[in-house]
Amino acid sequence: MRVSLPGLYIALGIVLAGLIHVVAVLTLPTLAPRDAQARLAALGPANTMIQLPPPTPGRQVMPLMAPDVRYAFCRYDLSDGPVRLRAHIADEHWLIGFYTPLGENFYAVVGADMKQPEVDLIIATADQTVAEVGVDSPEAFDNVVVVSSPVVEGIALIRAPLAGSSRSAEAERALKATYCGQHKTSG
Amino acid sequence: MPLTGTSTRSSLWREEGSTSMRAIGYFIGTFAAALILGIGSAWYMIERGSPLTTSTVGPWKSWLSEGNPNADPYTRAHLARSGRLPLTSTAARYFAANTDSRGSTLSSGCEYSIVGAPLNARWWSVALYDEYGSLIANPSNRYSFNSEEALRRADGSFRINLSRNARPENWLPSGAGTNRNLVLILRVYGSRDTDISGIGQIPPDRLPKIERVRCG
Repeated sequence: MRVSLPGLYIALGIVLAGLIHVVAVLTLPTLAPRDAQARLAALGPANTMIQLPPPTPGRQVMPLMAPDVRYAFCRYDLSDGPVRLRAHIADEHWLIGFYTPLGENFYAVVGADMKQPEVDLIIATADQTVAEVGVDSPEAFDNVVVVSSPVVEGIALIRAPLAGSSRSAEAERALKATYCGQHKTSG
Repeated sequence: MPLTGTSTRSSLWREEGSTSMRAIGYFIGTFAAALILGIGSAWYMIERGSPLTTSTVGPWKSWLSEGNPNADPYTRAHLARSGRLPLTSTAARYFAANTDSRGSTLSSGCEYSIVGAPLNARWWSVALYDEYGSLIANPSNRYSFNSEEALRRADGSFRINLSRNARPENWLPSGAGTNRNLVLILRVYGSRDTDISGIGQIPPDRLPKIERVRCG
């Protein structure tokens, strides 16, 4: 077998380029320093519902935020146990997305699919038990949904799309009434 | 085979003579070319997308599995770089356009007419950004039109006039000052047409056309 020298270098170059390509694509997500988690962490502590300021020219927390959606987020940390999220869905447009720090949307609550406007969620990892917490009032727990989080630290993001530009104060008030905090496992 | 390879290489080595410096030079050159090719192709496929990851309809580009936990490595890298938190395609669809329907780059130096057919969804919005993803300052603080506020005709179709100066109907201001490149994002929440896996489907002919009216 006779391989020409330039051919050998070209083959070597292509194999190397392929390897570099694969390594670059796979390592990029972990190297991106300004991911959503980092941007949101700068706004306040974990396990608290925080409203995102509406984007304005030259100022927005995340790129390409919708100017006609109001957002509130809870950066949850399950290392001390499950986290509770409660919201009164003001209208059917509301969406609650659950994310890993890399931005993977592993679960979503769609307002229009809800039978009642009260959303009561417990976010827990797969190995945390949420059972028997409401023994004293089991009926109050009928509507509680347990969201199994694949990550200990993640993000819950509520979107309130506006029904018109004059409706932003209304949406902001509704978002302010949402709750996120450590779930008390006293039971 | 490795034996043959080795012998071939060593014989070539001899043919090249004792100029091993030249071989090192070739090797460095190959490595540099591989680095540029590898990083460049990765950057392109992450930044711009490819048929593997994105669907293109006219000027609109959409990353199909953006936000999906089972997304391919290119989509994951694209998302991590963007720093956004998009919903998966079962809850929302996002379409981005940085050109008009004829393929020319959207510029604030031109005037466009965005003509759309009714979209079968709970909520949609067309928002305007500069090429860095930031909103554009304008006196009427108008950055987008959504399904609740856009003026629509009796048949549900709409026209958004994208220009510097005030226009009738739905005026989306592209801002004063030097010309800048523009990006339009169409968000469709709760598409009522879905495929069997629940992914929102927007028929290609339903995506708005972006027609250039005039420039300068």
